[in-house]
Amino acid sequence: MNVTQLLEARRKNWHELDEMCAKMESRRQRRRLGAKRIVQFGALYRAACADLALADAYELPPNTVHYLHQLVGRAHNQIYRSRTFRVSTWFHEAFMVLPQKLFLDRCMWLSFSIFWGTFLIAMFLSGHWASPFPDFAEALLGEGMLNQMKEMYAEPVTRSVGEGGGDGGGVAMANYVHHNAGIGLNCFAGGLLVLPGIFILAFNGTMLGAVFGYMSRQEEWDNFSRFVTAHGAFELSAVVLSGAAGLKLGFSWISTKGLSRSASLRNAGKEVVPIMCIFVVMFVAAAMIEGFLSPSAAPYWSKKMVAIGSCAVLMFYFAVLGFPKGIVVKESPLATR
Amino acid sequence: MAQSTDQLDTHIQIVTPENIAFRYQVAGPFRRLPAYAIDLALRVAFSTAVILVVVWISDYGLGDIGEAVWLLLFFLLSWFYGGVFEAMWNGQTPGKRWTRLRVLTFDGQPINASQAVLRNVLRAVDAFPALYVLGLITTAMNDRYQRLGDLVCGTMVVVEERKSLFGVTRINEPEVIRLAGYLPANYQIDRELSRALSAYVERRKTFSPGRRADVARHLSEPLRVRLSLPQGTDPDLLLCALYWRTYLAEVDPAAAPGPSSPQAPAAIPPVSMGVANDDEIRLAPPIHLRR
Repeated sequence: MNVTQLLEARRKNWHELDEMCAKMESRRQRRRLGAKRIVQFGALYRAACADLALADAYELPPNTVHYLHQLVGRAHNQIYRSRTFRVSTWFHEAFMVLPQKLFLDRCMWLSFSIFWGTFLIAMFLSGHWASPFPDFAEALLGEGMLNQMKEMYAEPVTRSVGEGGGDGGGVAMANYVHHNAGIGLNCFAGGLLVLPGIFILAFNGTMLGAVFGYMSRQEEWDNFSRFVTAHGAFELSAVVLSGAAGLKLGFSWISTKGLSRSASLRNAGKEVVPIMCIFVVMFVAAAMIEGFLSPSAAPYWSKKMVAIGSCAVLMFYFAVLGFPKGIVVKESPLATR
Repeated sequence: MAQSTDQLDTHIQIVTPENIAFRYQVAGPFRRLPAYAIDLALRVAFSTAVILVVVWISDYGLGDIGEAVWLLLFFLLSWFYGGVFEAMWNGQTPGKRWTRLRVLTFDGQPINASQAVLRNVLRAVDAFPALYVLGLITTAMNDRYQRLGDLVCGTMVVVEERKSLFGVTRINEPEVIRLAGYLPANYQIDRELSRALSAYVERRKTFSPGRRADVARHLSEPLRVRLSLPQGTDPDLLLCALYWRTYLAEVDPAAAPGPSSPQAPAAIPPVSMGVANDDEIRLAPPIHLRR
């Protein structure tokens, strides 16, 4: 038996494997294959693997070896497939492991301090507490934006809950999801390079603080506070969280704890995905409140209740679930291997 | 556990759980560009279609709902399009499927959902400050063309080639077969030589006759001396004849015109197959296929 005969003998199997690869690649055709054929696929794959392993001994010509390499590669990708989400592992990860990790996380505290630090300083400097810099907000935000802010809140919010009208609640909500969660994700992505992440955090903290301080001096303060109270807690915390997740990535390649930079980065990558999910959920929740409840004429106490409720949820998650209980934080079930 | 080992140009080697090493070609940024363009076009087309629907239903007083849905879809599309597709389609988006690319982990395993989502969210950094400049710099700085998102998730993009099988290249020139008859019967062709021969024969069709002689001379000159063939033997013919004897001789002995030489190819004992003799080939796992 020589190479040509061997090739002829094997050609049928290889072609069959090739065809089955094409079928496995399409979801609809894969479902129609049936157990027997799929078992056969495994057998064909192993046979092709064996042929490839023995290619050298068989003295197969190079282009046949090349063909086998890509055939085995294609089949390998059909047999070893991506794993999808599992609810139970995610529950454990989200409510038992993650809060514990976040409570002790230094990036979390850093992001928290940067955002709220700049927020409070800017608010103080532009507020009416005997500020030594009376024109701070004007210099920072510009006259145009300030006038726009005043105009926006000149009228008290009057819509009934969820009413359509000029700017429907749904549109507003979708707009807030798009805009705010976009900022959050940008802040997260920027954190990978550390400085852009810190900048976006500080920038948002300063701007928001200045707006709050400035509005507190104006007669529109009532309307303003009626608008922002309900959704503030979720939205601002989500910014902090997105910044923290980003910085975690960024610091992982700076301080590697003995790993190589890329390995350290990959480890951090596994850890930040759940945080990312949480802050996206928070942004969406904030946008729902902001779109439907905040601009409505619902009584102020109801908005306060929502604010207190959302603060309570956050406190429960981060402080109660998160308070170190000595639970051994095991290897994340989301890890790749 | 799969592990990656040495790397040859853009090919990387992967060892599967079956303990088989096979090669992948890693896709560089410009190989990935068409896939990205296709995905972008799909996203734009889909958004436009949704806008048209929104405009249409706004005549029926549903404009607000339509606009809200459109904004949400736009948000999801711009941040999670790639992630969702790569998680569901085993590392491929429509663009990647079209251009036959696939995202795999560092060591050739399939990616999981969180890797798929994360590497696509981190696109925002790679696009920084504009036109994926940072991503281009990063891909240039490592040998698997990983952008920052890939580095964080430990993923890489590979080309899934679909070559067709050509089999053994045939040679039918009568001069080759005649020359093969003059080769000493006891000359053993070792594995490395036979591999070189088939590499040469597979490519020689694309060479001009002058180039063939040029390339073949380096190998055929020492061979000619060892086989004590007369000076002036065509280098290309000699390599082809050796190839013919290694790969083709036994299959079609009838094709060989019996030259007057006593060492006719038909009389040559079965060509040595290096280590692999008949028994070993039969040892290859038998495949029992049930219909």
